[in-house]
Amino acid sequence: MLLLNFDALKLPIIHPQYIQKYSALELLAKQVVEGFITGLHKSPFHGFSVEFAEYRIYNPGESTKHIDWKLYGRSDKLFIKRYEEETNLRCQLVIDASSSMYYPVDVKADAETQNNKINFSIKCAAALSELLLRQRDAVGLSVFSDKLNFHAPARSSTAQKKMLFAELENLQQQYNPKTTVETFAGTLLDQIAEITHKRSLIIIFSDMFDNADKEDALFAALQHLKHKKHEVLLFHVHDKKSELNFDFENRPHHFIDMESGEEIKLNPQQAKENYLKHMSSYIGNLKTKCGQFKIDFIEADIAEGFDKILYAYLVKRAAIL
Amino acid sequence: MAVEITDSNFQTVVKDSDKVVLVDFWAEWCGPCRMVGPIVEELAKEYDGKAVIGKLNVDNNPNVSMEFGVRNIPTILFFKGGKLVDKQVGAVPKAQLAAKLQAHL
Repeated sequence: MLLLNFDALKLPIIHPQYIQKYSALELLAKQVVEGFITGLHKSPFHGFSVEFAEYRIYNPGESTKHIDWKLYGRSDKLFIKRYEEETNLRCQLVIDASSSMYYPVDVKADAETQNNKINFSIKCAAALSELLLRQRDAVGLSVFSDKLNFHAPARSSTAQKKMLFAELENLQQQYNPKTTVETFAGTLLDQIAEITHKRSLIIIFSDMFDNADKEDALFAALQHLKHKKHEVLLFHVHDKKSELNFDFENRPHHFIDMESGEEIKLNPQQAKENYLKHMSSYIGNLKTKCGQFKIDFIEADIAEGFDKILYAYLVKRAAIL
Repeated sequence: MAVEITDSNFQTVVKDSDKVVLVDFWAEWCGPCRMVGPIVEELAKEYDGKAVIGKLNVDNNPNVSMEFGVRNIPTILFFKGGKLVDKQVGAVPKAQLAAKLQAHL
């Protein structure tokens, strides 16, 4: 069993700047995972290995394959070693690829120091896939915006790994701010719940900026996921500085809705109070609903490192297996 | 400290006891038993007065082991009113043993 004592672990902080110098996503994922494991001291891999749990008296006629011969040599006793096989996990990574996820737009796809929300999500998903596949857990990937763009059910093969990384890299290159795609998180999560048959851990990366009037559909979809006996981890990917704190310079700004293209000119200071009020009530509502459905809601600020995401997953895994 | 249970004192310590009794069947050469051993000692401290926690070495006490058909070690048997009420085979976490014990208190 995996026990994590976060306070006792003096973990190195993995800065995105450090790892982003490796362009290939797979290499980046490896770097994150390796650095993360080195910090953990205790190996988080326990899916594939089997644990020696008990001795059983050897029955004559039985296969001699599992006899503990060292014990026989020491004590003339014929005993069979029995192992406890640990169950493996199926995990479906779900990435929201709607236009709002490409915020902040001034960040380039290969930027060394900054991430936009989609890049952050892709890198986290890559690191998680690496970690999961290394311990022989099965990983799948779903990408949605206004439709389900991609869906691969969970598998643990090497071919799956290649396919996932290719798809993630492809997603990274799809950056085009001129075409806008809306989010139908509610409908699409509902669809994912419907097609994911086996009980899985569903990890969602989304900014949760669905249309306000579709909020009920979103909550219904989250409930649907739980109803299908899935465990759900929801990473609320956001740029804390501008999106949650509305921290802009005090001069007139030109705001553009990335999904509908609607434009508005205003002074941030005037709108700030109202914006913060609405934002905190929306996030509060989301958190309450997630609490009700026993969904783990985790805030993921794109300015922070990836380790928080990996911990959240490891804690969840330890809890459900 | 867990009570040392043997073939000779099994009747008085376990069968005649009105308390819940936990018996850990173990052997010195068995690795998993050594994982369970300290857990049993901890339980003995925590449930002192509430339940009897004992250890039985299967090498030295084959009669009791045979009577209850203990073929796997570690095996932990739970008795209540002298009757066998529950069984746990293999090395398991402390919480699992404590939960079983608690259920019969």
